[in-house]
Amino acid sequence: MAFERILFRSTRGNIFLRQEPVDEHVTDPVSGEKVVKNAFIIFYSGDRAKAKILKICDAFNANRYPFPEDVSKQLHTVQEVSAKLSELKATIDLGLAHRGNILKSIASEFENWNRLANKEKSIYHTLNMLSVDVTKKCLVGEGWTPVFAATQIQDALQRATIDSKSQVGSIFQVLDTKESPPTYFQTNKFTLAFQEIVDAYGVAKYQEANPGVFTIVTFPFLFAVMFGDWGHGICLLVATLYLIIQEKKLASQKLGDIMEMMFGGRYVIMMMSLFSIYTGLVYNEFFSVPLELFGKSAYACRDPSCGDAATEGLLKVRRTYPFGVDPVWHGSRSELPFLNSLKMKMSILLGVAQMNLGIIISYFNAKFFRNSVNVWYQFVPQLIFLNSLFGYLSVLIIIKWCTGAKADLYHTMIYMFLSPTDELGENQLFPGQKTVQLVLLLLALVAVPWMLIPKPFFLKMEHERRREGHQYAMLQSADESVVADLGDHEDSNHHEEFEFSEVFVHQLIHTIEFVLGAVSNTASYLRLWALSLAHSELSSVFYDKVLLLTWGYNYITIRLSGIAIFIAATVGVLLVMETLSAFLHALRLHWVEFQNKFYEGDGYKFAPFSFALIGEEED
Amino acid sequence: MGFLVTTLIFLLSGGVASLLSLLCCNRGPSTNLFHLTLVITATVCCWMMWAIVYLAQLKPLINPILSGE
Repeated sequence: MAFERILFRSTRGNIFLRQEPVDEHVTDPVSGEKVVKNAFIIFYSGDRAKAKILKICDAFNANRYPFPEDVSKQLHTVQEVSAKLSELKATIDLGLAHRGNILKSIASEFENWNRLANKEKSIYHTLNMLSVDVTKKCLVGEGWTPVFAATQIQDALQRATIDSKSQVGSIFQVLDTKESPPTYFQTNKFTLAFQEIVDAYGVAKYQEANPGVFTIVTFPFLFAVMFGDWGHGICLLVATLYLIIQEKKLASQKLGDIMEMMFGGRYVIMMMSLFSIYTGLVYNEFFSVPLELFGKSAYACRDPSCGDAATEGLLKVRRTYPFGVDPVWHGSRSELPFLNSLKMKMSILLGVAQMNLGIIISYFNAKFFRNSVNVWYQFVPQLIFLNSLFGYLSVLIIIKWCTGAKADLYHTMIYMFLSPTDELGENQLFPGQKTVQLVLLLLALVAVPWMLIPKPFFLKMEHERRREGHQYAMLQSADESVVADLGDHEDSNHHEEFEFSEVFVHQLIHTIEFVLGAVSNTASYLRLWALSLAHSELSSVFYDKVLLLTWGYNYITIRLSGIAIFIAATVGVLLVMETLSAFLHALRLHWVEFQNKFYEGDGYKFAPFSFALIGEEED
Repeated sequence: MGFLVTTLIFLLSGGVASLLSLLCCNRGPSTNLFHLTLVITATVCCWMMWAIVYLAQLKPLINPILSGE
């Protein structure tokens, strides 16, 4: 439109324009898109008009084509253009077909070529790590190997020499070094996931105790303490058994990120579900419903009419329910006080047990590295401190349960510190308790400076002993080879940096961390109670307020929708969210409360060259 | 069934599980020790859990008050 208007105005209306839109969309050669084209024809007279029209056409980027005036020539031109069009079309079609063929033939080879190129690239990257020995025209490399693999490596080197038909074989020699080696744990597909859990926090220092061994059992166990419901446990077990049975098929497939993680942790989830079934039986919860699987409940009404069941409550008439929580508790008004007391005390007992295990592992670490300073001035005071306070609390809990006393353990512990010489009165659980508490308090108080003061002095003495030894050795080795001198140099560099104040502050921090940590870590284990309570309350709400409520109505639609909502809520909230939540908290308990008693975790992983890993890195 | 009897049952089943693991998956001393560690840890954990719940119900200080429905 604008084109017409400008032409009209510039030639003062002395032209005749006729335009028609072209039916097919034409591919613009420059941009490659299909655009709508208009064909136009202009009749004009005079040269000045011609010049103006040409300029305007150029301004509008209109393509101009020569068109003869003679009719026969016009027909001829049209034929020529059509012939050209069909020729070009044929050429383009042939070209596209050819391109398709080439691409198809490449596509079948592409992956192969890609992989070969990657392999070669990685081989060259590795070769770059070797150094060229200029005088002997060979490559020298230093690396780490596991001791058991030495013969395998010799064999592999021999095979390589034979395969490449070289005249000279490779030489494999064991070196002495003071560098710290990488850490290598041989794992199979079951233990790999648990080892990764431990490694995610920190790779074990060379040859220190591996917490992964205990993690295989304690991690699913603590998860199950927080998850305890054998109905949910069975659902988890079915889901993970599917993953395990389809293992080979799923391993070769490409799964999404979340499925990848779930598949990688399938054995962890299996252990978690097995332990959840066990703790579900102990808590007596099957989708929050208690069942009388192990005999009759221990409680019964006081009199046959059961008149005061809702005011005074039931009496314990038979022997204690043999396995797990008595089914009568669920739904009663005093359920929460009872279960809370049980679960809180259970959390403390489990927590003290796991922390003691951690401290004992630190003893074995110290014994292995022949660090007697750590045994006598770290392990022993730590053990004494933790057990004289929280070990004693655990003993009190067990005594209170066994005797049925009404003693208040909170106040017992608090008054043990605030007024240790006072009479215990109602809180007395066993004769001589006051004396025992005084002794334990003194032991705990003594343990703190025992942890703090001696170790820095011992470290200083050891450092001075080593330095003296080294100075002696350096004088002697003045005539020896270059290598020994270099070795000594390295050592003296390490030991020059012994700052007593730094070591003392480090020990102070370690001591404060342990002392405060003893309280905070023990309290941290109460999350076992908290999450278990949350899980059972959620499960109970979904059961009572969704399933039972909708089942009360007689309409099939309400009942079906109730079942659907119950299933959706159970899967979404309890099976997915609670699993993740309990997983996370069990993980935290392991990483912080258990491992900070003994784990150093400042090693690095043994990462041998492997063609298989290159393929994984690709993705 | 009594505390001691059930504890004995746990002990025995732990022993049986250890023997089974030694018999069916005997793969060298280090691996055997590893399997033994797992079995013993699992037995101890399960026993602790049961024992705690059992002891807590032995001489309870509160009794169930039904909700009256």
